[in-house]
Order: sequence, then C-alpha cells, then structure tokens
Amino acid sequence: MNNISLPPLVALLVFPGGLFLMALGLAYEYIDRKLVARFQNRLGPRWFQPLADLVKLLAKEEIIPDGVHRGLFIILPVIAVAGALTAALYTPLAGFMPAYSFPGDLVVTLYLLSVMTLSMGLAGANTADRFSLIGATRTLTQLFSYEAPFLLALLGPAIAAGSWQISTINLYAENNRWMIFTQPVGFIVAIIGLMGKLELPPFDAPEAETEIVAGALTEYSGRGYALFRLGKDIELVIGLTLVSAFYLGGLANPLEFLLKTLALLLVVAALQSLFARLRIDQTVGLWWRAGAILGLVQLAVIIAGSSWLRPLLFK
Amino acid sequence: METKLASPWVKVIEGLKAWARINSPWVIHYNSGSCNGCDIEILATLTPRYDLERLGIKIQGSPRHADVLICTGPVTRQSRERLLRIYEQMPEPKFVVAVGSCGLSGGVFHGSYNIVGSIDEVLPVSAYVPGCPPRPEAIIHGVVALLESLKQPA
Repeated sequence: MNNISLPPLVALLVFPGGLFLMALGLAYEYIDRKLVARFQNRLGPRWFQPLADLVKLLAKEEIIPDGVHRGLFIILPVIAVAGALTAALYTPLAGFMPAYSFPGDLVVTLYLLSVMTLSMGLAGANTADRFSLIGATRTLTQLFSYEAPFLLALLGPAIAAGSWQISTINLYAENNRWMIFTQPVGFIVAIIGLMGKLELPPFDAPEAETEIVAGALTEYSGRGYALFRLGKDIELVIGLTLVSAFYLGGLANPLEFLLKTLALLLVVAALQSLFARLRIDQTVGLWWRAGAILGLVQLAVIIAGSSWLRPLLFK
Repeated sequence: METKLASPWVKVIEGLKAWARINSPWVIHYNSGSCNGCDIEILATLTPRYDLERLGIKIQGSPRHADVLICTGPVTRQSRERLLRIYEQMPEPKFVVAVGSCGLSGGVFHGSYNIVGSIDEVLPVSAYVPGCPPRPEAIIHGVVALLESLKQPA
C-alpha cells in the first residue's frame, strides 16, 4: 500500500476530501447512468452530463417555500455533503492510505455516511409538502432497515481482521484470501445494503417518481438539490471503496482501486436494471427478515470459526 | 445608468452557465386540456427508442426541478389556474414549449365556450411544435430549437 503524507488543508480540499472526490463522484454517476442506459438498449448520457446537471442546478434560482424553517432548509444540503466528504478521509480512496486513521474509524465512517440520509429525511420533514413528508418517512424507514444488515455485513471482515480500523482491515484483505469467497453471504448483504443506502432502483421507494414526485427532495431546487445529488455521488464512491476494500481483496494501488470499484459498479448497475421497485414494506421485510438474519448467521460462523474452530484445527 | 463592461471572469462564468443550461434541460410535462394524443407522443418520445438522455433531457416529476415546461392542449378555464401555478413553482430560468396544434392556436377547440385559448395567451412560450399530434422527432426538434436559441447572447 502506498503511503502519502499530505498537508491537512490539501487532504481536506483537494485530494481525498474535496475536489478529487467530487470529480470522481460525477464520473461514477456518469458510468452508472451509461451502464444502465446500455442495459436498457439506449445510447445513454454524454460524458459531461453529471457536470452539466450540477452546474445548471447551481446556477438556478433557489426557491425557499413557505412553511419551512429557513435555516434548516439552507444548511441541510451542506451538512449532507460535508458528512459524505468527511467520511472520505477515513477510507482508502484510490488505493492510498486513508488521510486520517484511528482504531474504530469504521464505526465513525458508517455514521458519517448516514448523515446524508438523515439530513434528507429532515429536509423532507421540514417542508409542508405532502410528497416530501411521505418521502421523508420512507427515507427514514429505509435508514432503519438497511443500517443494521449493512453494519453486520461490514463487521464480518472487521472481526476476521481483528480490528475496527479501516486501513488495518484493508491490509488484512490484501494479504489473505478475498473475503468475497470466505464470506459470500456478507458480500451479498453488503452490496444490497449499499444499494439501499444510495436509494438505487430496487430500493428507490423513498424517491419513487411515479408515486411521490421526487420524495423528500420535492421542494428543493437549485443549490440544495445540486448539493444533495453531489452528496449521493460521493457516497456512491465511498460505498464502493469500502465494499471493495473489505470484500474484494483490498485496495493496494490506484489501478486496483479503479478495476475493483468499477467491477462492483457494473454489478450494482446490472442489479438496478434487473429489478423493479420494491414497496417500502417489502424493502423493510427483505432487510430484517433476510438481510439481518443472514448477516447474523455469517457473524456467528466467523466468531465460531475464529475463536473455536481455528484453535481446534491448527493446534 | 452607467454601463458596466463585462469582466473576463463574468464572461467565463456566464458561458459556463449557458453551456450547462443547454446541456441539461429537465422537463416537466403538463396537459392543460388536450385530447391526450400529444401526451402519448410525448411519452413515446421518452422511451428508449428516442433516448432523450443522450441530449441530457430528463423528465422530472417536481416543477421545482424542471427547466422546461412542455405543455399540450388548449388551456381550459379550469386548468388555467393550475398551469399558472405550476409555471410559478418552477425556478428561474424557465422556458415553455407548446406542443400540438391545440396548444398553438386552440386547434379544433378554438372558440369553444370552456377554452381560454392557446398556451401563449397564458404563459410566455419559447418554442412551438405544430402537429396533430406532432411526431416524437418533431418534439425533440422543438426542444433542441429552444436550446439552440439559448446559445445566442440574450
């Protein structure tokens, strides 16, 4: 693994934290949209499409509707992006060592990733619009359903590596067999949890445009909407980085990072175009009945294997 | 009133804004009283066969996210208020495209007791797409013509 030391300001604004991650997020959104378009036998968007969308939204008027708390309405998109960008500081982005690292940063990263969902829920609940309210309810319901299985799925590699530090787990994953083979169930739960986190198609009930217009973000225009979209793109990159670092044998260099995250993105895009939207109760049921139990079983097997079987087999 | 010369930075930023606006028009579709023929053609335009995403065009449910209001049909007395409300909910800059003969002039409904008239009697229309109903190619052409007109400095 390469290790680079950067001045904190650069780390925050340019390399893992700021501009680089935004550009990467837009690029990954483009790849995702293009792949889905190709799966649907379309040509798909042009390469600069996410950038044009972002700039256009930033240049548009921002309407602050009646009946909202103005301060919250303005600050929530900023908090969402800030949470996602902060989470990037603890992940092995582009195959380099995380900019900051401490024992237990896995938990912090997961909570920082949830900040965006929380602020989307709050943003929806803040407006008086009925579609936003339903969207907010669904967003928060979905948060409570995917969070536990996703955490359980990422705990598997953490327990196998014996550490809650992302860089240590990454190092362990590099030097051992790929955990997608040793913990296949965890991988499936993790990738489905990631899709739920990003509200990607089978789990897009919170923003179902055929039912509730645009969900929690219905009333957002211009800057706020642009920032939420940007935050989601950043989360896509971080989520893919985390899952591929944990399950696909670690990220040792930028090339490996690109190959592994793009392979994962291909799987995510294929799943998006394969499945139709689930109702919110089906989503909750899927995660709590199948996801959480599978995650728990996986965890039990790992704990049993590492604390009981291994001493038995390798005396 | 003093006239300000545009500094190079302002020019670059304005150019970037115009570029983004031209390349990412999100549309919202409203039927203000048409016979549904034009609406079916608009839906056909949005299918993978014509693939509007390659031009950056995306249909949006919420007027707050939309840049272009694609409106079909003559404006009936009942839908006038709704049409105006949707238009006013859209953030600036916003444009209207009138689709179909009825939207342009009232069409076969012209002079009917329950009709206000064509769309441009209610809203400022930027592009007109004639036809009864217009083909999807014509609708795409109309939207692209609107985008081309944005390239000229206003």
